[in-house]
Amino acid sequence: MTLSNPFRRALQASCATALVLSLGLAGPAMAQDYSQAPELDEAVSAGDLPDIADRLPSEPEIVEPLDAVGTYGGTIRSALRGDQDHNGILLLVGAQGLVRWAPDFSGVVPNVAESWNVNEDNTEFTFHLREGMRWSDGETFSADDIVFAAELLADTEFMSNMPSRYVLADEPMEVEKVDDATVTVRFAAPYRNFLEELAKPLGQHLVLYARHYCEQFHPDYADPDALAAELEAAGTDSWAQLMRTKCADIELPTRWGNVDRPTLDPWVIEQPYTGGATQVTLTRNPYFWQVDTEGQQLPYADSLRFSIIADIESILLSTINGQFDYQVRHIFPISNRPVLFDNTEQGNFEIMDLTPLDSNFLGLYLNHSTDNAELRELFANRDFKAALSLGIDRVEVDEIIQLGQGAPWQIGPFEETKFYNEALGTQFTAHDVEEANRLLDDLGLTERDGDGFRLFENGERLSINAIVTIAKPTDVESLEIIREQWRDIGVELVISTSERSLFYERAQTNAYDISADTVPGAVNPTLDMRALAAVHPLESRMSIPWVNWYLSGGEGGEEPSENMKQRLELIDQLPTASSDEEADEIVAEVLSLAAEAFEVIGVSKRAPALGIRASNLGNVYEQMPYGWDYGTPGPALPQTWYFQ
Amino acid sequence: MLAFIVRRLLAAIPFMFLVSITVFILIQLPPGDFATSYAASLSAAGEYVDQNTIAELRARYGLNDPLIVQYFRWIGGILMGDFGYSFQWNSPVSELIGERMGLTVLLTFATVIFTWAVALPLGIYAAVHKYSIGDYIFTFIGFIGLAIPNFLLALVMMYFAVVWFGQDVSGLFSPEFRNAPWSWARMVDLGKHLIIPILVLGTASTAGMMRVMRANLLDQLHQPYVVTARAKGLSEARLLTRYPIRIALNPFVSTIGWLLPTLVSGEIITSIILSLPTAGPLLLQALLAQDYYLSGAFLLLLCMMTVVGTLISDILLVLLDPRIRYS
Repeated sequence: MTLSNPFRRALQASCATALVLSLGLAGPAMAQDYSQAPELDEAVSAGDLPDIADRLPSEPEIVEPLDAVGTYGGTIRSALRGDQDHNGILLLVGAQGLVRWAPDFSGVVPNVAESWNVNEDNTEFTFHLREGMRWSDGETFSADDIVFAAELLADTEFMSNMPSRYVLADEPMEVEKVDDATVTVRFAAPYRNFLEELAKPLGQHLVLYARHYCEQFHPDYADPDALAAELEAAGTDSWAQLMRTKCADIELPTRWGNVDRPTLDPWVIEQPYTGGATQVTLTRNPYFWQVDTEGQQLPYADSLRFSIIADIESILLSTINGQFDYQVRHIFPISNRPVLFDNTEQGNFEIMDLTPLDSNFLGLYLNHSTDNAELRELFANRDFKAALSLGIDRVEVDEIIQLGQGAPWQIGPFEETKFYNEALGTQFTAHDVEEANRLLDDLGLTERDGDGFRLFENGERLSINAIVTIAKPTDVESLEIIREQWRDIGVELVISTSERSLFYERAQTNAYDISADTVPGAVNPTLDMRALAAVHPLESRMSIPWVNWYLSGGEGGEEPSENMKQRLELIDQLPTASSDEEADEIVAEVLSLAAEAFEVIGVSKRAPALGIRASNLGNVYEQMPYGWDYGTPGPALPQTWYFQ
Repeated sequence: MLAFIVRRLLAAIPFMFLVSITVFILIQLPPGDFATSYAASLSAAGEYVDQNTIAELRARYGLNDPLIVQYFRWIGGILMGDFGYSFQWNSPVSELIGERMGLTVLLTFATVIFTWAVALPLGIYAAVHKYSIGDYIFTFIGFIGLAIPNFLLALVMMYFAVVWFGQDVSGLFSPEFRNAPWSWARMVDLGKHLIIPILVLGTASTAGMMRVMRANLLDQLHQPYVVTARAKGLSEARLLTRYPIRIALNPFVSTIGWLLPTLVSGEIITSIILSLPTAGPLLLQALLAQDYYLSGAFLLLLCMMTVVGTLISDILLVLLDPRIRYS
């Protein structure tokens, strides 16, 4: 939970660049320098749309395309699943927040905000907006919109809990308008990673609500009769419900369900995402605020089209049939490589190997609070965990599940990152049955039953119950391989597969010994620390009761181990660290402690995520990271993709 | 007859009430609620939800209230004609269901007509020409149709359509027609896309129905009245259509009632695989997401259709078979 060094540097550098760019362009940037897509010419000459210069901010963001300046036209086609897949739209359109990630995930760069200042102790963030920037309906975007959004978030009728990224030390953020193009966001305590939070796909709240449009659904601003009529028409008596339907809730599909909602996105919704939709289309936003280096307004592609296909195999089938120009979501597992490879020519696409941001494709989160008293004692013993880890033949699992594209790994940031901790990543990753058996024998687990499984002192079999969700078939298959491998060390693994809701429920009721799931954090361990400390109430499966203890301030749950308490204390100190160096030291110490505690046994680094792009789709950054925090492919700027 | 219908409809009211309770309890039985299932489904896609948002979802949809309160809020709305808002889509349930019903009805009836058009003549042929080569061939095909799971057939057909013909067969429309207004070209496009779903959905029931028709007709063909009619010199075609077939049709008519519920829940897996914009997949998603307003409305609809369908069957049976009387 810190702003790490390179991030801070990248951020300062980009501020400087933004400044240089804007200075450099202040002179020559004139109306005739900008050009627009030919499809807009007619509307402009008919007077339905203002001239390009009047649609762009006075200083639009100048984006340098990856490979070449593109040409206008075409539809980028992709696929969505039927339900709860609205984020698939968000990711391709790109989350247009105040800031965004650099394409290589190395730091935060300006986006809707042209630049920003942060005060000494990281409590106050001042954002400078682009003057003359417009919503997709042509109305001006200004600091008022941000203040309106902040008020909306703070309104308990609209949202009973403000999203936690805007709350620090139990105090919600304060947003103040300085002038039309400047806002200040204040926090009650130092907030080192606020900008990173804003760059994540859901960090977009502050620029999501167009005040001039959304006011008509808010009782404080709307004309009561008109609002009553709107409520009547929508069949609800709650203005908050209406607001969410009309003006978006970041977490709900309705965000893409209202064609009238003004946005700052490169494309705006044309055929909405609703329960009955079979496809979703978006068309060019004529007021989009980015241009390329030759002054051509972005985006290049005229439109986006998502086909809604409920079944993943059908998505794959359509992909090999060449029906999509870009697809990663749903087809990314490495096991699809052969079928994709065989059909590149027929489908006229290229395969992309995206860099996954997960630290491990499968981690075994050992439940340190399991109800099984004997096991609980063993899980507290590092030798026992070492034996379990040595008993896994990671190369075999990787060969079978990931076509050998991964590599044996525990958890934590990779070698090439600055937080790399050798012990955390590589301890006990060898396959050494002899040593594992010796460790287990030394623990006094020498008795075996007729099937060769070790017995506890009370005569019961050493049997470990692992929960896993069928939503991730590769996880189940991996566990089945590990079950066979653990036979050799006399440990029985019982696999309880379940539908995903039950998987969560079992974790919440502490009904498991091992929970098998992904481990995040290959690059920046601070973005999601679920596997490093008991901080995440759903996902920190090394002990949910510990999380409850931590989140309740020691009142509920169960008291964690000493080592874990130290880590939690350190994490609490992170935001108030006086310097980047100090923050980095804290993170490093958390990682060392986690390595010592060894609560999560990793299997293998994740193989590259597979994606495809149409052979003639240019400017696609093929090595882009693949992960939710990054929001693939948004930060790689799909608005600069074009058909060659 | 009118009195019979009214009586049946009145009896349906308490029945529907009991159904609503059962449905609600069944929907609530799986562990967790909409908020956890939402978090779980996002997590499966590598995304995650912030804790406050989960708490917010629970508060917003009243998921923390006791079940009984939730039930009365739901059923109360329905009594007022308001099926509520779907959690998942944040839009009125009636709109969601309405959107999908048209194509569902079309597909179901097209499939039924296909099934009958194929099964009845073949069944009659097989019965009349018992143990002939034709009988064996149709029986063989019929058993294969019964044995292959529909979803597998769908996958195989889709694969060959793509690999051999380079044709996209998923969905009911090509992309350019999906949201276009109705036109001749769009109808043709729909017709093309209907072929595979109808074949896939039709095969299994065709096979079953063919066997039933054959068996029923065989029972009749050896009845004394058939022999008598034949002895009196009635032509074979006339004899068959007049009497034995009419009676053999009896089981078909009594199963018409079962057609209506399949409008909602029929062939969910096949629909998902073929990406058909029908009601089934929406119901499944709603159940998985524990979106009880949407799934509850669907299930109530399902039960209501069963009640109405059975009633229709009963009425038709009387019309067809003079031996049956209202009582």
